[in-house]
Amino acid sequence: MKELSLNILDVAENSVKAGASLTQILLTEEGSVLKLEIVDDGCGMSEDVVRSVVDPFYTTRTTRKVGMGIPLLKLACEQTGGELTISSVTQEANPAEHGTHVTATFHTDHIDFTPIGDVSSSVLTLIQGHPDTDFLFVHRTSKGTVELDTRELREILEDVPLNSYDVMSWIGGYLQEQYEELS
Amino acid sequence: MTVDELLEHGFEAVSLPDGSREIDGVYIGDLLSWVMGRAQMDNAWITIMTNVNTIAVASLTDTSCVILAEGVEMESDLVETARQKEVNILSSSKPIYETAVQLSQLLA
Repeated sequence: MKELSLNILDVAENSVKAGASLTQILLTEEGSVLKLEIVDDGCGMSEDVVRSVVDPFYTTRTTRKVGMGIPLLKLACEQTGGELTISSVTQEANPAEHGTHVTATFHTDHIDFTPIGDVSSSVLTLIQGHPDTDFLFVHRTSKGTVELDTRELREILEDVPLNSYDVMSWIGGYLQEQYEELS
Repeated sequence: MTVDELLEHGFEAVSLPDGSREIDGVYIGDLLSWVMGRAQMDNAWITIMTNVNTIAVASLTDTSCVILAEGVEMESDLVETARQKEVNILSSSKPIYETAVQLSQLLA
């Protein structure tokens, strides 16, 4: 992917498919290290499955035999000298607290670092496609934090769907405003 | 021209499960997600990327072969994966551009 934001979109879609009610997308920039975490409360994966998702020939899709979301994210962080880790707890193992936590670290000063790109668009795409699940997006930088929590919006909006045109454009503007304040 | 025939022109076989495949056109690229959406079936794909994802992208796009240019080498366990997944891989000691020029002449 030319932008990490597309990678983020791909992996967060997996969380939604795993039945997550809340998917967190956390970007933390500290010096020249960028940490990306995608945390969900979906059905989780067994140890065997966790081991196999980094293999591009593993996929839960039936339409094709190759699943590239995690393998490409792993490649993108490893080529900057970073690493990818996945921890997961299945619903069977712990009915109260289950889900998957993907962590990818990047060294942003490495020449092969892929730019973050338009992560606001990725967040909007996720909300547009999955208005009934919640997303928490937090991007921490040295200059400040950009944040969006659809649970808060849902509380205020009550029955208005999150993917209605007005709400989507408001969210887009809200994120853009926060990013402008950082620069 | 078939993948087998390239062996007569200085290309070396890395993994060759189906050398009889016909080559139709060439694609060049190292950004795997980009290649994934653009390489055409039966293309020979020139790259310097030698991780497992290279094999996956070749399998997805159904290219006739991957050509590792610049003399880059693929680890032996990955070569085994390529054989299992029936992905043809050749190598060339030439730089990417020269490899492409040579293919252009051979395919003309």
